[in-house]
Amino acid sequence: MRPRDLHSKSRLPLAFSVPKREDQHNEDSFRRSAKGVYALSDGASVSFDSASWARILVRRYTRDPEFTREWLSAAIAEFRQLYDRDSLPWMQQASFDKGSFASLLGVRMADRGRAIQVLSVGDSLAVLCDGDRIKATFPLSTAAEFTKSPQLICTNPTHNAFLDKMDFAYDLVADWSFRGLEQPALLCMTDALGHWLLSQRDRDSSPISVLRRLRTPGAFARFVLEERAAGRMKRDDTTLIALW
Amino acid sequence: MAYEAEISRENPTCILFVIDQSGSMDEITEAGRSKAAFVADVLNKTLYTLITTCSKSDGVRNYFDVGVIAYAGSQVGSGFGGALSGEIVHPIHAISENTLRVEERKKKVDDGAGGIVELKTKFPVWFDPKSQGGTPMRAALRKTMETMFGWCEQHPGSYPPTILHVTDGQSTDGTPEEMADGLRQISTKDGPALLFNLHVNTAAGQEIVFPTSESDLNDDYSRMLFRMSSPLPEHLAKFAGDKGYTIADGSRGFIFNGDPQCVVDFFEIGTRPRLVADR
Repeated sequence: MRPRDLHSKSRLPLAFSVPKREDQHNEDSFRRSAKGVYALSDGASVSFDSASWARILVRRYTRDPEFTREWLSAAIAEFRQLYDRDSLPWMQQASFDKGSFASLLGVRMADRGRAIQVLSVGDSLAVLCDGDRIKATFPLSTAAEFTKSPQLICTNPTHNAFLDKMDFAYDLVADWSFRGLEQPALLCMTDALGHWLLSQRDRDSSPISVLRRLRTPGAFARFVLEERAAGRMKRDDTTLIALW
Repeated sequence: MAYEAEISRENPTCILFVIDQSGSMDEITEAGRSKAAFVADVLNKTLYTLITTCSKSDGVRNYFDVGVIAYAGSQVGSGFGGALSGEIVHPIHAISENTLRVEERKKKVDDGAGGIVELKTKFPVWFDPKSQGGTPMRAALRKTMETMFGWCEQHPGSYPPTILHVTDGQSTDGTPEEMADGLRQISTKDGPALLFNLHVNTAAGQEIVFPTSESDLNDDYSRMLFRMSSPLPEHLAKFAGDKGYTIADGSRGFIFNGDPQCVVDFFEIGTRPRLVADR
């Protein structure tokens, strides 16, 4: 299984992704901008063309990280233009109408890490570290939270009603800083790896030190396959973006 | 732990609908439609929803094998028509490709900008309402047991089958209880088959939903249907609770005197095994 080396020339030295199965399309998507904006999205397989939806979300976020209702409406409109709904066979039309679902994790960094703003909808996880210690995680903080159905962004606006009750700047955002940390690092990951990390956090060997050792796509793929085989990691598309 | 198996194309699960099409199903409900018409509508919608769940831009994925056993008069057999009538259980992609017809309906939807638009929507039909003759429930459950025994032998590692049985009356060919007992003993490595029973009624009466004890029920017939029904696994119990039903430890997958909303909810709850592989 050959993982994607998402951005070998990135300022982020490590960005790897492994599909849930070798013969299946990877529905995780990642992108960064030159202005220090990063975005990660996990397209839900049980929905229509979620890979395209995830790609649209990360591209739009890295171009314009001001996530608003208007931003979301424009993204939905772009997705809908990918298909001629009326010409789709009934089963695909039904699935298209039901909607495509994906998480969105966006990170804005300014002033060399003195200001880090994390936006998250869904269950992709951002982790702030100092050395091998986890200083903060967002939006989830325990492994148990991953067993609940996540609220994801959908191309069918009906399923985004949960956002109507939210103050985007307060409920969807965490403000962090590297200031005061001796060995700061920022990790972004999709849910299979996020669940693994939080379920391992109280072990003698820090999961951060395990991830820190993964320096090549091959090493990351072997790690994911071993953890899946041991039953410690869910079989799902698995992506890690690391700023060590 | 039972009912934890990953549902995937490699390990699909099976959903089997067992539908009473006896003469009494032509009774008219308060909504002005017969019970048979209402059940056919809900069954069409349930298949539509299941197939939608499995539909991707590149086709329909076989997460489910689906079958329908219809029983009425002296007949017990596949409830499907046309190319699907030869077998009871089919991969869901085969069901998606073999409808009786596709109707065009209109529905109002959110346009994403605060407005409502009317969309023309293609709606597939597999079943038309039927109602005639007696109620050979025992023979129907025997056929169900034989069908599920074969399916479980072929899918030993799969999430076990779910059987949704819909009836409005008492068996006319003997007691079905021992067949139901046998059916619930058929299993995969992930646990025994799940048999959920729905009794529909047009007469005004107190509906009893997901009871925990025979003492909740008033007569021998309803108590028998209770005994025939599997306890709800944890994830289905939670889903039923989320829909507003009162669920307790030991709640059975059984509804007595169900009204139309109960029929809709029964099908929705019963066809919600988790697609844990492909979230």
